[in-house]
Amino acid sequence: MKLKKISLWLTALVCLLGIFAVLAPSGQVQAADNSLQRVKDKGTLVMGTSPDYPPYEFITKVNGKNQVVGMDVDVAHKIAKDLGVKLVIKQMDFDSLLVALETHKVDMVLSAMTPTEERKQSVDFSQVYYDAGQAIIVRKQDLHLYKDKNSFAGKQVGVQTGSLQQDLAKKQMKQSHLKALTKVTDLILSLETNKIDGIVAEDAVAQAYVANDSRLAKIDAKFDLGGDENGTAIAFAKNSGTLVTAVNHSIDQIKQQKLTKQYINDAGKYMATNTENKSMFNYWSYFAKGVGYTLLITAISVVIGIILGTVFALGRLSRKAILHYPAVWYIEFVRGTPLMIQVMFVYFGVGLLWNNIPAFFAGVVAVALNSAAYVAEYIRGGIDSVPVGQVEAARSLGMSQRDTMQTIVLPQAIKIIWPSLGNEFISLIKESSIVSIIGVTDLIYQLRAVQAATYRGVAPIAVAMVLYFIMTFTLSRILNHAERKMQHG
Amino acid sequence: MAEMLKVENLKKAFGKNEVLTGIDGVVNSGQVIVVIGPSGGGKSTFLRCLNLLENPTSGKIAFEGQDLTQLPEKKLDDIREKMGMVFQSFNLFSNMNVMDNLTLAPKRVKGEDEAQAQKKALELLERVGLAEKKDAFPESLSGGQQQRVAIARALAMDPDVMLFDEPTSALDPEMVGEVLKVMQDLAHSGMTMVVVTHEMGFARQVADEVWFMDGGDIAEKGTPEQIFEHPQNERTKDFLSRILAQ
Ligand SMILES: Nc1ncnc2c1ncn2[C@@H]1O[C@H](COP(=O)(O)OP(=O)(O)OP(=O)(O)O)[C@@H](O)[C@H]1O
Ligand SMILES: [Mg+2]
Repeated sequence: MKLKKISLWLTALVCLLGIFAVLAPSGQVQAADNSLQRVKDKGTLVMGTSPDYPPYEFITKVNGKNQVVGMDVDVAHKIAKDLGVKLVIKQMDFDSLLVALETHKVDMVLSAMTPTEERKQSVDFSQVYYDAGQAIIVRKQDLHLYKDKNSFAGKQVGVQTGSLQQDLAKKQMKQSHLKALTKVTDLILSLETNKIDGIVAEDAVAQAYVANDSRLAKIDAKFDLGGDENGTAIAFAKNSGTLVTAVNHSIDQIKQQKLTKQYINDAGKYMATNTENKSMFNYWSYFAKGVGYTLLITAISVVIGIILGTVFALGRLSRKAILHYPAVWYIEFVRGTPLMIQVMFVYFGVGLLWNNIPAFFAGVVAVALNSAAYVAEYIRGGIDSVPVGQVEAARSLGMSQRDTMQTIVLPQAIKIIWPSLGNEFISLIKESSIVSIIGVTDLIYQLRAVQAATYRGVAPIAVAMVLYFIMTFTLSRILNHAERKMQHG
Repeated sequence: MAEMLKVENLKKAFGKNEVLTGIDGVVNSGQVIVVIGPSGGGKSTFLRCLNLLENPTSGKIAFEGQDLTQLPEKKLDDIREKMGMVFQSFNLFSNMNVMDNLTLAPKRVKGEDEAQAQKKALELLERVGLAEKKDAFPESLSGGQQQRVAIARALAMDPDVMLFDEPTSALDPEMVGEVLKVMQDLAHSGMTMVVVTHEMGFARQVADEVWFMDGGDIAEKGTPEQIFEHPQNERTKDFLSRILAQ
């Protein structure tokens, strides 16, 4: 018996490794270079970007609709036009961009990305299309304390996770304590609340923030920069020679005609309109959309979670090994891995097999599958807590196992399960926020967008927090009411 | 008299623990069998084997001429329908009121319609003296009332035989009488019954046959008179002297 159990576990493990074995190599298939032809065939050029980095890329309202704008977007439009295809913009976290390239979710990445040696190991780069110096953003009242990067010995210095600035600071600001965050807006917030003393950022970015926030100032970082380590280029999946060549042609024109200057000016105009009215009321539509998506993701996940959870719970309770063990593995595995990784796995991993998997779909699937594992355990607990005498009484009356389950066990179990299901529902509202990392426009995502648009850190957080609370509080009231009704009915 | 239940060399083990070591016995139609014996002797296990709530390890159980141990689970549901069972802990469905407790199985299993099932349920509740409780939920009833409802629930399926496993053991003493009264009436109406109980008075008055069970087999069988007045087996004597001394 013991041995049989162990061997079943081993089988599960082998199956799992099998899945990875199938998925892993397909990410690195070295096919003949048809990158340019592929783009032309499908008629779209998909650009990945993390739009929280004005003036390169950020979100603004154009004719009442949220849009990604900025210099990088203009560059991409020019390239798409030259290739004679349509530009599609996909938003996601900066950290997710290179994975998106490898998994062919996007054709190219324009996100103020510097072509470092490390990155060149895993992706191809175009030539540099824009060259900017590095600056350090500081609080205006502290401006007199700092001269350049060397003034920050013993100080807290913020950088964007995975950025060139992080690398530079690591190598050339060894005396400073580095703090890496994903979002520039969070870094600004940290600076303004004295958690850090400076932010290493590209000069254009620093300029954008300083110009829009009277509490900030910037100084020249004066890094020793070699060659390409200074400037931004476009990233492509490895082995995209033909596409890179075509794009380099467009960049030649951009350089010749000095188009980037024009692009930055245009971006500045958007930034000005963004900052004209920083009142949160002006951005109510962002938040409303975020709340809508958060509730939608939660609602769909809860429904799927309950249905699948019931299936898994019954599977786990089944005496048939073929039903029991898969359910056990599933539940244990899902509960033993973080939701964040599951979301990324569904979007990028499953995306290898199904290329155009929409982020929203992937997010909902991941959250629902995750929830199912927890719901399964609640349901199993509920079913287990129904006294065995209830079942025996029903069976002794000639009722089938199925009938007994439906009319006696589940109705009684539901009363026990209900409060935990309610808690799961409420925690899903909060935990579903993780889908923002793959670019699903839920409340967290919109909060980031408003932060980027208004250059205000705290106010959007406060608004989002209140909105989350209103959602969870209302829901818990409704659930309590339903529970009271059920216990009396 | 027709044989209703016939048990041959019935054995049941839980792992290495042999609880029933070979039981033989016949229950005729209309008979009331009372099973007595010390705790742990296997009485409950025996009763639960009769309607296959417990799977026997070996042996035969013939019900109305059909061997139950060979039947698939699906067919067993049809058999259990005809064997009412009353439990020590009542086991009324706690998510339903009294009326629904009585009508659920007749509707679900026998396909009776609502009106038909309710009419019969009311008659049965009348019979156990609880018609006014038809809308009550089990938790609001006393133990004695719950057990009477449980008997009515089993009767609602029109069973051919009724199995009782210590139906009064969980009751406060003042409620034992009302349940025994119902069982006595039932016996007088001609119902075939197998009753596990420690109520020796009931056994004396109602039983056609008393089976003394100890250590996994039936040590002695006989009329109440034979068992209580002239027990032959040493173990029976020993058990009765202990019980009656109390
Ligand atoms: N499901 C089970 N699993 C394992 N052992 C069991 C199970 N049910 C009963 N037994 C064992 O079988 C033996 C007989 O139990 P049983 O309940 O049939 O006795 P009983 O005569 O009804 O006793 P009581 O008068 O206490 O009800 C006991 O030793 C008990 O521990
Ligand atoms: Mg017992």
